[in-house]
Amino acid sequence: MSTRRAHGLAWDVVGVVLFAVMVFPVFWMISTAFKPTDEINQVTPAWLPGHPTVQHFRDAINQPNFWTDVKNSLIVVLVTVAIAMALAFLAAVALSKYRFTGRKLFVVLVIGIQMLPGAGLIIPLYVVLARYHQVNTLTGVILVYLTTALPFSVWTLRGFIIGIPKDLEEAAMVDGSTRLGAFLRILLPLVAPGLVATSVFAFITSWNEYIFARILLSDGSKQTITVWLSYFLGTSRSTDWGALMAASTLIAIPVVIFFLLVQRKIAFGLTSGAVRG
Amino acid sequence: MAAILGYPIYNLVRLSFQRYGLFELLQHHGVSVGLHNYGSVLHDTVFWHTLVRTIVFTVANVGLTMVLGTLAALLLLRVSAWVRLLLTAGLVLVWSMPPVVAVQVWNWMTNSQNGVLNYLLTQLHLGDYFQHNWYETPFSQLAMTTTLIVWGALPFVVITVYAALSQVPRELVEAAEIDGAASWRVFKDVTMPVIAPVLLILTSLSILWDFSVFTQPFLLIGQGHIVPSNYLMGIYLFEEGYVKTDFGRGAAISILMLAIVAAMSVVYVRRMLRVGEVE
Repeated sequence: MSTRRAHGLAWDVVGVVLFAVMVFPVFWMISTAFKPTDEINQVTPAWLPGHPTVQHFRDAINQPNFWTDVKNSLIVVLVTVAIAMALAFLAAVALSKYRFTGRKLFVVLVIGIQMLPGAGLIIPLYVVLARYHQVNTLTGVILVYLTTALPFSVWTLRGFIIGIPKDLEEAAMVDGSTRLGAFLRILLPLVAPGLVATSVFAFITSWNEYIFARILLSDGSKQTITVWLSYFLGTSRSTDWGALMAASTLIAIPVVIFFLLVQRKIAFGLTSGAVRG
Repeated sequence: MAAILGYPIYNLVRLSFQRYGLFELLQHHGVSVGLHNYGSVLHDTVFWHTLVRTIVFTVANVGLTMVLGTLAALLLLRVSAWVRLLLTAGLVLVWSMPPVVAVQVWNWMTNSQNGVLNYLLTQLHLGDYFQHNWYETPFSQLAMTTTLIVWGALPFVVITVYAALSQVPRELVEAAEIDGAASWRVFKDVTMPVIAPVLLILTSLSILWDFSVFTQPFLLIGQGHIVPSNYLMGIYLFEEGYVKTDFGRGAAISILMLAIVAAMSVVYVRRMLRVGEVE
């Protein structure tokens, strides 16, 4: 048995090393964000901040356009999520509860559009938005995000709705409830966790999105926060790593929190459906 | 909804047969040129070089992601409960990192002045990396991109494969071990058949993502350093279609990319369609 235990210990060591390697970049980002500049620039790096400071966070949020772009991101993301959820919920109900003509085509479209490389759609979307003068507007970006958020949300919600027995709804209707009543009182509460999980995921993908926002929004005051962050490096000749890492930390925080909330639920959605990365 | 989904695709196809530059963009009207865009792309040597480079890149990234991911998932089965919890928490944390943030952290860790990667490798006596430039050649630029992508993709793969592994009946594995099967045989004949479908889906998804990846290489290499010799397909499309405002040609590139990706992930599509059918 002792060799077996030794084996177990060896695996544990490998596991801890793997943990350290994977988490190191995140640790390094946070550690750097709290270090004074002279500690950041020293040749032999210190693992932890010797004299922790929040100066870099102050610098980061005082950069031009930081708050404007955070606001832009929030507007884009919240509007996208609200519209996507409302439409996707109805579509998912239709898809999982009723048979209708064109249903198969619809499924193919939903899957197909997720298959399309995101980069592949920049050209037609840009041209279409230019036609309606929606380039360099948040509305344009919201429309674009809807084309990705909708199929994903339909697909994931469909997975949640199928899990609900049809009998429940029918029982309510037998007991004298209307179709709408059954829908509101039975289906909606049961799908609520699925709705929360899906909307959080739509929130995260829209918050993280880069290429479309980069192409569509050219004014510094109209950009989203990811585009703002991507330009940070190029703004000065010698990069202010402390402020950059502080800004990175701030931008990652909402995503990390939301992600931890729904991670369990979404792992199921990812394997049964699919998400664009 | 079908309109929201279908309209861009319809436009993509139509654009690919048109001359559609800046002038046409302002006119909101393209000029039909038949197959000219496709011909010009297929005669472009940059296209073919980029295609080969992207395929090699995709194979390397997907291969590394899948092999390391499966190994890490197998490791998760063998470690004690607290290490499993620690590792899972760490993976979820990494999973949730926004790509643009990850790029900036990579930039910081690998900068030639005082990057921590240079320091660590030198300290570990793996060579002298003092002020080493990690982005010197196209190969090293793409290799660094690979580390970034594999790091970001691992959590999803590890957690999903681990979930699949826990579906493998324990008795079966133990029975095989008692019968004296080597651990490699057990993996191949008992574990593999159970997790194969999941591995297949993950591989197809990874191919899909890595083949058309844009954000990571574009930002890590840096826009100023993007040149034809380090193009990947996603960047080629961006440069030819958007930067040069030749939208018709860009659309043709998109469609060619789409065809290649579709061919590479037929398995995934078929499986998804079956999921869509069965209720």
